Amino acid sequence: MTRRDALLGSLGASLGAVTACSKAGPGSRSRSYSVAFSQCNNAEPYRAAQNELLTRICSQQGDINLTITDAQQDNSKQIAQIETLILEKPDLLMVAPNERTPLTAVMGKAMETGIPTICLERDIAQPNYTVYVACDNHSIGRMAGQFIVEKLKTKYGEPKGNIVEIRGLLGVEAEMNRYGGAHEVFDQYPGVKVVHEAVADWLQAKGRERMLEILRAQPVIDAVYAHNDPMAIGAYLAASDLGREKSMFFVGVDGLGGPAGGIKKVMDGVLAATFYYPLAVDKAMEVGVRMLRDPNFKPEKKYTLTSELITSENASEMYRRLTF
Amino acid sequence: MTLSSRKSLQSWLGLAIIMLLAIISSPQTPNGRIFLQMGNLTDILRQVSETGVMAAGMTLVILMGGIDLSVGSTLALATCMAGLCLTTWAPPIGEHWKIPFAVACALAASAAVGGVNGVVIATTRIQPFIVTLASMIGIRGLARRLTNNTNIDMGFGSDAPSVFARTGSQKPVVVGTFVIVFAVFAIILSRTVFGRRARAIGDNEIAARYAGLPIRRTKIFVYTCCGLLSGFAGVMHAAQNHQGNPNAGMSYELEAIAAVVIGGTNLMGGQGSMGGTLVGTLIMGILTNMLRLNNVDSNTEMMLKAVIIIAAVAIQQFEFAHPARKRKA
Repeated sequence: MTRRDALLGSLGASLGAVTACSKAGPGSRSRSYSVAFSQCNNAEPYRAAQNELLTRICSQQGDINLTITDAQQDNSKQIAQIETLILEKPDLLMVAPNERTPLTAVMGKAMETGIPTICLERDIAQPNYTVYVACDNHSIGRMAGQFIVEKLKTKYGEPKGNIVEIRGLLGVEAEMNRYGGAHEVFDQYPGVKVVHEAVADWLQAKGRERMLEILRAQPVIDAVYAHNDPMAIGAYLAASDLGREKSMFFVGVDGLGGPAGGIKKVMDGVLAATFYYPLAVDKAMEVGVRMLRDPNFKPEKKYTLTSELITSENASEMYRRLTF
Repeated sequence: MTLSSRKSLQSWLGLAIIMLLAIISSPQTPNGRIFLQMGNLTDILRQVSETGVMAAGMTLVILMGGIDLSVGSTLALATCMAGLCLTTWAPPIGEHWKIPFAVACALAASAAVGGVNGVVIATTRIQPFIVTLASMIGIRGLARRLTNNTNIDMGFGSDAPSVFARTGSQKPVVVGTFVIVFAVFAIILSRTVFGRRARAIGDNEIAARYAGLPIRRTKIFVYTCCGLLSGFAGVMHAAQNHQGNPNAGMSYELEAIAAVVIGGTNLMGGQGSMGGTLVGTLIMGILTNMLRLNNVDSNTEMMLKAVIIIAAVAIQQFEFAHPARKRKA
């Protein structure tokens, strides 16, 4: 039984228990819970997957009314939306902050009003949340760096080779840590060189465009490390246009399920590896549901989710697990 | 020397200067300068193809004194239509017909967007900027709704979507589409009654109305063409990126407008040419290629591009002002 199955199973069981209780007592009255999720940008595939999973979990619960707002990557919009949500007094507020500092104050306001607040994957400047579900991008960067160095060792018998790095939108936490973590590893090996860095803003189309020029400028490339899967796929498309895709391997991050996700691309042999970046809403709801149903439950302040390496060996299994 | 020939000479001169800069600054390899390698030069053509095709439509619109901000969103809609028709919506028709069907749907949807823009602009007094700003927002929403915010993947197999992506991303196909579209629209603009009418409306709409030109029909047709060409760009985009993407084409409208303006077309309408737009498109493409071959930091790249755009337009301003002063004197 996989982790998610176990989670859904336990959620189902607890739901069953709750409904059983409510039906048992003739005088008891069933109540429903309102959960509000302030999403920073619906337009990203990762975020769309988050919304989908959350909607599924909530509908399985049966007595949870979910509202999702979309801030369209705009801090002011997200603040305004959270202010409106505060007025509606949901039983649980979940926030995927667009940026750290601007969202800190408004989340503090929610806490002051007594709304249990869960902060998802991006830390805010002050701990204005009941629970923080964190994903560790720095460790993902390190894992990616180690994977690449190991593959280079297998190729050359020693840690050396030319790496191209395709970076996400500059200044974003995920980009900085996926970069920093990987370079921590690369810097240990003088033979491992990042010969070209390009910024492709998380986009597949830009990844492809940038890679075309890099391929012209760099005669020898052993590995491409992109900060997300779409950019890695874009780089692959550029290399395959020039017939050079076999001479290098491609590593991405995100590991989303579904036909458009990175796991499928590992199965297709496009990517050598991707790293599962947890959707976090499942963990948040696991904790959140307990908070709603059990007044005595004291959650921890922070839950850190770990990533997983996905290669051709475990891709099919992960695909089944993460496709919904 | 006439005004238009002097202007066109100046545009080509700008292109030559950028080419020269690119050649000088190009990194060297044992096979010569990277910039001049045939592969790189055709890469540039391929990279400007999407913007170029959109800029061709935009030239018509701007020449007529209008503007179309919805082309980027229309491109996204076209990629999604192509993706959805090839995958999720695949109708029960033979494998051979799937690709033409998808392309036709994508083009029809894009032309319809342009058509609606045109009808609203021609029949109401709302300014084109506002109408197309609204459709830029609305069509982006439609594309996201149709796809539920996800990318429609075309895969790497041997089914219709993969064949579409593989064929449509071939360099000769992409560059060929760009060249044919440009040639056709250059002829339409300079050799047909429709082209002359569009230009006349941009030059002086009131005079054109008094002259009995069919203003509404021409406007609707011009915006429909612009939508259709965004659709072509969208189909190219979908094939090249192996996906339908509701977030594709963000700010492409600005790139298309920049290419048109750098090519010497007057934003007020009436003056300009497809040749100019071709030059504008190439200037932007070569500039980008030059900076990236040299691994210039992406922030610096944006700053340098800004300077070049202003410089290119400033040169043309000077050119426009000069004969005008003469006429006054």
